[in-house]
Amino acid sequence: MTTYPIRTRRWTRKEYHRLDKLGILPEDEPVELIDGQLMVAEPRGRPHVTVVRLTVRALTRAFGDGWLVYAQDPIALDDVSEPEPDVVVVPGGEFDYLDDHPARPALLVEVAESSLYYDRGRKASAYARAGLPDYWIVNLVDWRIEVYRRPATDNSAELGWRYLDVHLFTPGAIIVPLARPDVSIAVADILSEALRHLR
Amino acid sequence: MTSEVGAIRRWTRKEYQQLGVLGVLSEDEPVELIDGQLIVAERKTPPHAVVVGLTADALREAFGAGWFVRQQAPIALDEHSEPEPDVDVVPGGPLDYFSEHPARPVLLVEVADSSLLLDRHHKGSAYARAGLPDYWIVNLVDRQVEVYRRPATDPAADFGWRYLDVRVLAPGAAVIPLALPGARIGVADLLP
Repeated sequence: MTTYPIRTRRWTRKEYHRLDKLGILPEDEPVELIDGQLMVAEPRGRPHVTVVRLTVRALTRAFGDGWLVYAQDPIALDDVSEPEPDVVVVPGGEFDYLDDHPARPALLVEVAESSLYYDRGRKASAYARAGLPDYWIVNLVDWRIEVYRRPATDNSAELGWRYLDVHLFTPGAIIVPLARPDVSIAVADILSEALRHLR
Repeated sequence: MTSEVGAIRRWTRKEYQQLGVLGVLSEDEPVELIDGQLIVAERKTPPHAVVVGLTADALREAFGAGWFVRQQAPIALDEHSEPEPDVDVVPGGPLDYFSEHPARPVLLVEVADSSLLLDRHHKGSAYARAGLPDYWIVNLVDRQVEVYRRPATDPAADFGWRYLDVRVLAPGAAVIPLALPGARIGVADLLP
């Protein structure tokens, strides 16, 4: 097959907001802006939603006061990216982000089933490029949490960046968030045994 | 509509038209919709612009009354495609296409310099899939006219279709449109 460059129209965050305001995109359609492209995001079915809730609960307990734990809210990653990660943890309080979405979460979590390849690929590359220090993928396919750290340039990565360190945690393990070295999160609290049997 | 997670979202033709009407895409923005993607066209070089004009003139003269030769006008190709080929020929007159763009031109021409591979493989596959019978590329790089005919399936092609017959014509030759077997167009008239 012959390959050749195809340039597709890129969108800025500002234009993306306009698309939304004008109602051009169907309201319930899961899309997000990554590096100027509107990407098809993972539909929020079950057990995805339940795992997101468990993640929010576990992180809220672990981080405590002075941190906000959001579920599926947009982040202002850069001028051409506005993803909606499943869970983000940002410093500060409820009223610190009235003017714009937070840009630099201390921790970012994606819950992945059909989106696994995408979350590890283009999205991880976008997060690494933005310098986000701590990125977790709750992998529902292999039933483990993948922790990505140390963003670095890599020409072979989709957007020129990737994470150098990848650690895998199975349900017996605990994870210590980079931003809170004094706390730990049990993988089993997120990938609960009860859920596994429901699948 | 395929909505594979992690793929670039595909636009429908209807949404694409709305983007124009609501002013999200400006009128003069060089994009065309091919299989749901907004493809950005290369800036047109002076030779490209000239050859588009020459081709339209030659086709108007050859086809004559009863045919409408259009330049860089939209085609309602399929649910997810609205390309604007450099020149196309449709039956009838301008007023026949007041309410909707034509869908099935009898002849379609792209003038190619930097876009050559895109025109051959990407657009060519989309045109073949739509069953368009006669597709020409005026190739400015190699100074030849490429005539593509007989659309057929091919799993290896971009959209699962390609043209089986490819004829390459040098400036000394003439090309006869499928829709008008009595007409002859000198390749040299298109490639000065």
